[in-house]
Amino acid sequence: MLFPTATFALFFMVVLPLSWLLMPRGERWRGFIVVASFVFYAGWDWRFCFLLAFSILWNQLFALALHRREDARTRKWLLAGALSGNLALLAYFKYVGFFITSTNNLFALAGIDVPLEARSVILPVGISFFTFMAIAYVVDVYRGDFAPTGLGKFAAYLSFFPHLVAGPIVRPGELIPQFDSPRDPRYVDTSRAFFLIGTGLFMKVVIANHLASNIVDQVFGAPNQHSSLEVLVGIYAYAVQIYADFFGYTNIAIGIALLLGFRFPQNFDAPYAATSIQDFWRRWHMTLSRWLRDYLYIPLGGNRGGSLFTYRNLMLTMLIGGLWHGAGWTFVAWGAIHGTALVGERWCRERPGYVERPSTPWRRAWQRFLTFQIVCFAWIFFRSDSFSDAWGLIVRLFTAWGESSELVTGGVLLAIAIGIGSQYLPRRLPLVLMARFSRLPVPAQALVLSVALLVVHAMGPEGVAPFIYFRF
Amino acid sequence: MATRRRHPRRRTGDDGRRLHSAGSAVVVALLALLVGVLLNAPGLHKSAEIQPEGWKRDAALAVTEPLASVSSALLLDRPRRGLKAAIGRSDDDEIDTGIAVPKPPPDETPAPTKPPPREKFSPQRPLRIWIAGDSLVVVPGQSILRAVGERRAIEPIGDVDGRIASGLERPDVFNWFEHVSEVMRKDKPRAVVLMFGGNDDHDFMTGLPEGREIDAFGSASWTAEYRRRVAGIMDSVTRRGAYLVWIGLPITNDRNQTARFDTINAVVQSQAAKRPGRVSYLDTYFFFAGSDGGYAQFVENDAGRLVQMRAGDGVHFERAAGDLIARKVLNRLNQRFDLTSWRTTRS
Repeated sequence: MLFPTATFALFFMVVLPLSWLLMPRGERWRGFIVVASFVFYAGWDWRFCFLLAFSILWNQLFALALHRREDARTRKWLLAGALSGNLALLAYFKYVGFFITSTNNLFALAGIDVPLEARSVILPVGISFFTFMAIAYVVDVYRGDFAPTGLGKFAAYLSFFPHLVAGPIVRPGELIPQFDSPRDPRYVDTSRAFFLIGTGLFMKVVIANHLASNIVDQVFGAPNQHSSLEVLVGIYAYAVQIYADFFGYTNIAIGIALLLGFRFPQNFDAPYAATSIQDFWRRWHMTLSRWLRDYLYIPLGGNRGGSLFTYRNLMLTMLIGGLWHGAGWTFVAWGAIHGTALVGERWCRERPGYVERPSTPWRRAWQRFLTFQIVCFAWIFFRSDSFSDAWGLIVRLFTAWGESSELVTGGVLLAIAIGIGSQYLPRRLPLVLMARFSRLPVPAQALVLSVALLVVHAMGPEGVAPFIYFRF
Repeated sequence: MATRRRHPRRRTGDDGRRLHSAGSAVVVALLALLVGVLLNAPGLHKSAEIQPEGWKRDAALAVTEPLASVSSALLLDRPRRGLKAAIGRSDDDEIDTGIAVPKPPPDETPAPTKPPPREKFSPQRPLRIWIAGDSLVVVPGQSILRAVGERRAIEPIGDVDGRIASGLERPDVFNWFEHVSEVMRKDKPRAVVLMFGGNDDHDFMTGLPEGREIDAFGSASWTAEYRRRVAGIMDSVTRRGAYLVWIGLPITNDRNQTARFDTINAVVQSQAAKRPGRVSYLDTYFFFAGSDGGYAQFVENDAGRLVQMRAGDGVHFERAAGDLIARKVLNRLNQRFDLTSWRTTRS
């Protein structure tokens, strides 16, 4: 069930009032929201509801056992058991085909025929997201940061449909306490919720889909058929497409949760206005960055063991982060580019005699430009099917200037300008708009929203492409 | 006198936003959806119309038809039409099921013809090629485009013209009959690569001639109508002097679907056989069969490396499969046209 569809609209218009009606009855509400979330998930493939149920039971079982045991050694084994189960699920559903073909081909290079039967398994939508949330739960319980909650609350936390398939990755301490107290139906931040849903729909349906179908798919599909200008604009267009797609999804998810009375953490903060790669990762997919920092980088040792040790941990975190996005070496390369850039920035700052220069508008503009180019360069590998495709695209970028560029249309340039320009809007502007919207009478609010629906539906393409991050 | 005191809790949220009740949220959402549905009624009606046959389509039509009428009566469809016109997409909401295909020749048996001479092409006079079809054509089409980038005697017309969920059964989803005729007339390709049928393995067809009805998929009446459509597309291409390579449907991971694809392939193959020298049917079935003759997702490539040929859905192609089909298509084009002698002539 995709958010921007009539099916979801119908589903939500049933769930929204029922959820508020049942809200004062905690247990009934939890049962209702779990059932609704499973119905939502079954919209893709009902068989994977069993997988989600297994994940809930497995992690709850280990979390309760971890909480009851005090012996450090036993607790470590229990944690290892919980993590192994989660990682085994990911490994099987997401990486089995990748591992087998990589192994076969590696041995084939040495002339050894390995009789491993290659297969790929249907990837359950959202598995990476709910697995990461489950890992956060058991690790927090292990660390003593969070006491295990009841099965109903944990099931509601892990399966809650607004975040289920593509995040944001909400930590247990952020959401489960909200289930403890009924939300107050008299005071709901509806204007922010509607604003987020409206902007999310526009970014996904109009901007992302327009760029995908008018330049990105063509350029990345057959780069040698396109001019250097088309390739360059195609790369920038992909940068905007993936941002608009994921930012749009996240906005809708946060808005829907807010209408139900729950607050999710922010996931984006104008990432293409970042002045360094480190700054980029503070603004892009913030809940994943935070997860990688707390559950991977810090357990690896973080920056506690000297420069080289820190560089190693940074690189490992980004390589694993790359692999999390997809079972392919191009994703590892994407992570490696970001890891190298992060290490490079850190090395520069740690050089003896390094002095931070004063920040001037020109200096910031240059840093933003440079950061955006590095991010776009990395996106080439992220989007390409293979290294040869990525290389072909890079070569084409320099070798076909002067050829006709029919794909570079006014519509494409406008969509890119909106995508990048939106990062530089004054931060007060959306707040002012939301505040004004909140003061409108109910019929006027409905009218504004219906006009927004008109614009999104009329300007979007026929049909809705799935969100890019659903496959991660 | 007792004064009634207002509740002191937050009526204003962060950044000066006024908070509203959950009931108000439900009312605003419902009203917005209702008015939004009326404003977008023509588009929603078309979306319902082009759905696959079944109860969902029936239900969607039952809802959207009256909505479209109400919207039209209240002139609420005007803003959408204006917006569509402003962005140059006035035809988006039109449903066109007219099938204009050339009339078949009176005698269906092919006249004995000599193989046509291999016409020469060169970078100065390239062979213009157009690649189109349903979603299955996208991956092989892109492989062809990548390959022809290195053969300067071939010039593609635009990108791969792949339309998701389309086919020859449902001109209401996308009218290929009209589109093929228009491209042939406007762009005049000399070679055309088509792939259809992935969405045509159903009983339901729109655009049937007045009074004609069809029975179940694969029945005599279904086959006769589908044959008429395949023949019409082939004739639209070949009567404009172009050479057509029609890529057949592959084996899939679903035996029933493979059997239905066989039915479609048989129609296409028989029609191609009636147009020798003008239409070439490329059978892909055995390219993607495993050692046991059945469906295989991973197949050895020419270098002996095991590569994934088929997507997870068991129907669509992966890049390696596209490359394989592209090589076969280019072989057919090389057999029909002289695309290489310009190199030796130049040297």
